[in-house]
Amino acid sequence: MIKLSCQEQLLPGHTLQEKFEFARDAGYDGIELRARGDFAFRDRLPELRRAARDGVVMPSVCVDMSHFFAAFDPDLRRDAVAQLKSQLSVIAEVGGPGAVACTPASWGMFSRRLPPFEPPRSEPEDRAVLLDGLAELGGHAARVGATLALEPLNRYEDHMINRLEQAVELIDAVGLPSVKVLADTYHMNIEEDEPTSALVRAAAHLGHVQVSDSNRFQPGAGHLDWAALLGTLDALGYQGYLALECRLRGEPATAVAAVPGFLRRHDVSALV
Amino acid sequence: MTTCTERPEVAHRTIEDLDRAARRVLATNWRQHATVPAARLYPHQWSWDSAFVAIGLRHLSPARAQRELESLFGAQWRDGRVPHIVFDPHVPADAYFPGPSFWRSGAVPEAPAVPTSGIVQPPAHALAVWLTYRADPATARARGFLSRLYPRLVEWHRYLMTRRDLTGSGLMSVVHPWESGLDNSPAWDTPLSRVTPVPAGEFTRRDLDHAAAADRPTDTDYGRYVRLARDYRDAGYADSLRVHGFAVEDPLCNALLAAGEDALASMAVELGRDPRPHRSAAARLTGTLTATLYDPAAGMFFARDAHTGKLIRSYSVGGLVPLVVPGLPVAAELIRTALGDRFRLRDACPLPSYDLTAGDHDPGRYWRGPGWINTSWLFWHGLRLHGEPSLAEDLRQRLLDRVRDAGFREYLDPLTGAGHGTDGFSWTAALILDLIRAP
Repeated sequence: MIKLSCQEQLLPGHTLQEKFEFARDAGYDGIELRARGDFAFRDRLPELRRAARDGVVMPSVCVDMSHFFAAFDPDLRRDAVAQLKSQLSVIAEVGGPGAVACTPASWGMFSRRLPPFEPPRSEPEDRAVLLDGLAELGGHAARVGATLALEPLNRYEDHMINRLEQAVELIDAVGLPSVKVLADTYHMNIEEDEPTSALVRAAAHLGHVQVSDSNRFQPGAGHLDWAALLGTLDALGYQGYLALECRLRGEPATAVAAVPGFLRRHDVSALV
Repeated sequence: MTTCTERPEVAHRTIEDLDRAARRVLATNWRQHATVPAARLYPHQWSWDSAFVAIGLRHLSPARAQRELESLFGAQWRDGRVPHIVFDPHVPADAYFPGPSFWRSGAVPEAPAVPTSGIVQPPAHALAVWLTYRADPATARARGFLSRLYPRLVEWHRYLMTRRDLTGSGLMSVVHPWESGLDNSPAWDTPLSRVTPVPAGEFTRRDLDHAAAADRPTDTDYGRYVRLARDYRDAGYADSLRVHGFAVEDPLCNALLAAGEDALASMAVELGRDPRPHRSAAARLTGTLTATLYDPAAGMFFARDAHTGKLIRSYSVGGLVPLVVPGLPVAAELIRTALGDRFRLRDACPLPSYDLTAGDHDPGRYWRGPGWINTSWLFWHGLRLHGEPSLAEDLRQRLLDRVRDAGFREYLDPLTGAGHGTDGFSWTAALILDLIRAP
């Protein structure tokens, strides 16, 4: 049986409690939180603690900032690492066992597919920055009891990590079990030769999954083969959440509420 | 986590574990448009493997099962034949023998642009297309699956029923042991003995890189296989008894053809076309098959040597496969034979490929004794078709137990359950998935 969560901004309601009620009624099992910079996520701790006490399930957090741990600028890099460490600490406290904090290497900083095509930093320098950041974040994640999930983005959104195998290679080099791969079905549809084959190869390092369809809208709005994806994830022993991170086609609340039914209809793992 | 290409360290404990492991094999062996039978030993697309794979793949992804069959029929020749191998141009040319440079399909006007072999395999496809369609008719309709596959299946069967009717009997012949699906069956020893082997030095086998020689055909037999294929190729893949040193009318292929015509009739109804030509073809094939290849005294179907007109009285599992034919008049007799000492349906599992009482029964060697999941699946399907649900259920349970213990091996010792051949074998996984999910 797949476990589904939904990013908080997609859910109607003023409080996490209200959002969770809507989510549960729709068939979700949890909420994926979003974490802004300037320690805004840490500042939400009273709200998050109240929600956790009220039974809101919040197993993961996704970074929601304009700079990331592999930024070109060293100051931005340092800040992103500090923010992420704080986010790992917070989610470890409110997210329960197996809590996950997600980040890409960068987002919207540079694309080799768009002018000026050549990034200002060399590949070996990129790699050194990535390994340093992952080691520091992974060490912190292990200390606080959370998992850092590294998300490959498509080529137009990041120039460093586009495919699962690239993330796996870096994670192997870092050698910390607290760092895992995040598989996002939208980015995989663009970058992987065959998404299910990429999942098979990354299986041992898979830590989190985000779902949206081929067009970044909710599952069901595009042309991904959800039966193959969900059947493969289950076959590989993935037991984490599938977090809805997408844009919404149609009336938003209706669109969000329809996703669990759609995905469970295409989940071949449940034996009848 | 173990990958499915390794032997399982522990048996798959629950049916859920087995189901998951089967899907893992199918996900691992998928190559974007089709499934390879096994990652290393068989790195291309095989014809009847794809049919059996689709029957299981429909439970993982109906769209993917449809693509499996579409990609195979996309490589159909213009004369209607569906090649037994469609080569993946991205796999090194020497990964499998005989490869594209042996078959030279590019030199044949009827062949497609993608390199293929020139021989065929048993026509399990119509049955697979129909079962795949039924798994998700809405998706199939949206993709035009049936309307695209139906005319191609008709052409495929037309090729077999005309070009491959070498004796005028109304039955199709296979012209190479590899075409029979039961490659190294003792049934082929006598007709094969007339064939002069190509000396072993003139070709390099690849099958022995991945499997134990004791399990595989001998070099002499392999030399005969090469001779037959080379003669066929050099004749431009023309079909006649003058070209084919080996030709047999075999019950397995003709039974699948008859069952396939029955499936085509169902497809025709679904598409609003006339099913009657298929129903009459099924009836004619069933009648001829029974009149020509069934031996009432033996309670068994035997292959007939097309050159001599004589039945080859060798008890091969292929002689039990006619149970897949709807309305087979001798189903009860065939089931009795399966229950007897030669096949021991109640305890030997999978169904032995060859007579357990024969002196030359070899439980480990390719098609000369061990059991395969696909022929057992066909017999299980036949048992259900002919009103034997408890025998079918018993066979199903024992097949699941065997694979749970041995893993997804290519074939198994029917008495001990020991696994043989390659592991992570696609049709074993696919058909186990189908058996688990059988309604």
